Amino acid sequence: MPLRVPLLAAALVLVAGPAFAQVDISGEWGRRIHEDQPHRNPGAELGDYTGLPINAAARQKASSWDASILSLPEHMAKPHPAQYFMRGPGPDMRINKITDPVTQTLIAFTLEGIFGRDDRVIWMDGRPHPSEYAEHTWDGFSTGKVEGNKLTVTTTHMKYGVIQRNGVPASAHATMTEHFIRHGDFLTLVTIVDDPVYLEEPFIRTSHWVRTSNITIDQRFIFEVVDEVAGHKQGYVPHYPLGTRQDEFAKKHGLPFEATQGGKETIYPEYEAILRKALAEMAAKRGSN
Amino acid sequence: MRQTAFTCVVLAAVVALSQSLAETQGRGAETQAPPPSPQAAAPIDLTGYWVAIVTEDWRWRMVTPPKGDYASVPLNDAGRKVADTWDISKDGRCEAYGAPALLRMPTRLRITWESSSILRIDTDAGQQTRRLLFDKSRQPSTAHSLQGYSLAEWERPARAGGGGGGGRGGGPQTGPAPGANLKVLTTRLTGGWLRKNGVPYSEEAVITEYFDRFAAPNAEEWLAVTTIVTDPKYLNQDFVTSSHFKKEVDGSKWSPSPCKAG
Repeated sequence: MPLRVPLLAAALVLVAGPAFAQVDISGEWGRRIHEDQPHRNPGAELGDYTGLPINAAARQKASSWDASILSLPEHMAKPHPAQYFMRGPGPDMRINKITDPVTQTLIAFTLEGIFGRDDRVIWMDGRPHPSEYAEHTWDGFSTGKVEGNKLTVTTTHMKYGVIQRNGVPASAHATMTEHFIRHGDFLTLVTIVDDPVYLEEPFIRTSHWVRTSNITIDQRFIFEVVDEVAGHKQGYVPHYPLGTRQDEFAKKHGLPFEATQGGKETIYPEYEAILRKALAEMAAKRGSN
Repeated sequence: MRQTAFTCVVLAAVVALSQSLAETQGRGAETQAPPPSPQAAAPIDLTGYWVAIVTEDWRWRMVTPPKGDYASVPLNDAGRKVADTWDISKDGRCEAYGAPALLRMPTRLRITWESSSILRIDTDAGQQTRRLLFDKSRQPSTAHSLQGYSLAEWERPARAGGGGGGGRGGGPQTGPAPGANLKVLTTRLTGGWLRKNGVPYSEEAVITEYFDRFAAPNAEEWLAVTTIVTDPKYLNQDFVTSSHFKKEVDGSKWSPSPCKAG
């Protein structure tokens, strides 16, 4: 053995192609919410599904969602789900590198600062995803692989959650692919959620952070369950009846109701002309009244 | 005995490879081959037709937002004053199609090599053309324009252990590289709009862009363009957005529509 391993290693180094340094996303990152700000803070309005490739089932579910449901004890202490939390209000976050103390190899990245301290673990040690029957959690099960300036993360085993904070659902069958792309001190995160239950096509969006050293990460990790609203009858579930037309957002912004309801046809450039025509018809109708 | 034989084989391989590499390096030093063109050296292929998928800022991109709606944009007081002078009669003007906002439009892109050192981006929305120049020795025009002057460079992941610039033997790196990207710096802009409703950027604005290509699990190919607008005149911090485009098989959906001259 004595000479065999080092010699073999030397030969491999010479034979192999150039090795590339791997991106390191660890550190403290401050959010930049220059996209969809009203959707993220304070949160999207009822009936605003613009830009979402959702199907009829998702629309029906979202239209019956009432924000008061978050006042119920069963829902009060929920963190944001994995399908949403990296977008959400945009967490200021600390990414830690967890290495093996002996071999110094990378085992995982952990992400702290997610709303509800739903801190994430991204396993980097090549472990497989668990059985499909394993427990689903708010942060899901994530594994990562580095390629140049990108860390590609695959997440499964997420709980039933939302992709937007106005009740647009994400099923427990969803999977998520993320690309953390680092350009110097800028971090771009591409998130692709594929949900065969609620989406007409995979949903992609991008979010940003800037490397910084003075962030204060969200420390609200203890959620207390209290009676927020008195007088609810036992078993009461706040909701809008099925078939409710959530058209307040469309009226407020002067948009055709159909355009606010999402769907894959609404996210392609061709839809701009359809929308322009619909807006012209609305204006003409207003003029004739 | 078997161990000795193994050692000899490995040693012979190491010596042979070392000699071969030394010869290659020697030849490189003698002939001084010219570096490959940016097109030949491209680590990722950005050419082809790409369609914008508008899943973000839909209400500000798909329709013209009302005057004074500058949500998400870190405008300063001076910027807000200018934005508040816009009116609907200016809707559709070419100021909305300048380099800082062009790729945010609901548009298709046609990316081609105009020459071996100029990558060209055409948009069907607004019918604009951007030229990304890789030749840094070229003297830029002093004139400002809607698309500005764009200098581009490939960014390859650094080699492990340093030495990011050259390949083995000191030569330039060529060919595909996982995780590489295109960086573009644009200056010499005329002022224009970050949004269709006249949210301004000034002639002092500088844009830094990163073009990244990746595959989705369903085998679709994607292009993400991160755009950082720095404008000391109208913004109080860098304005960071990224737009994503899906690869299309051909140009059959290309639908040019001009913008209105101001």
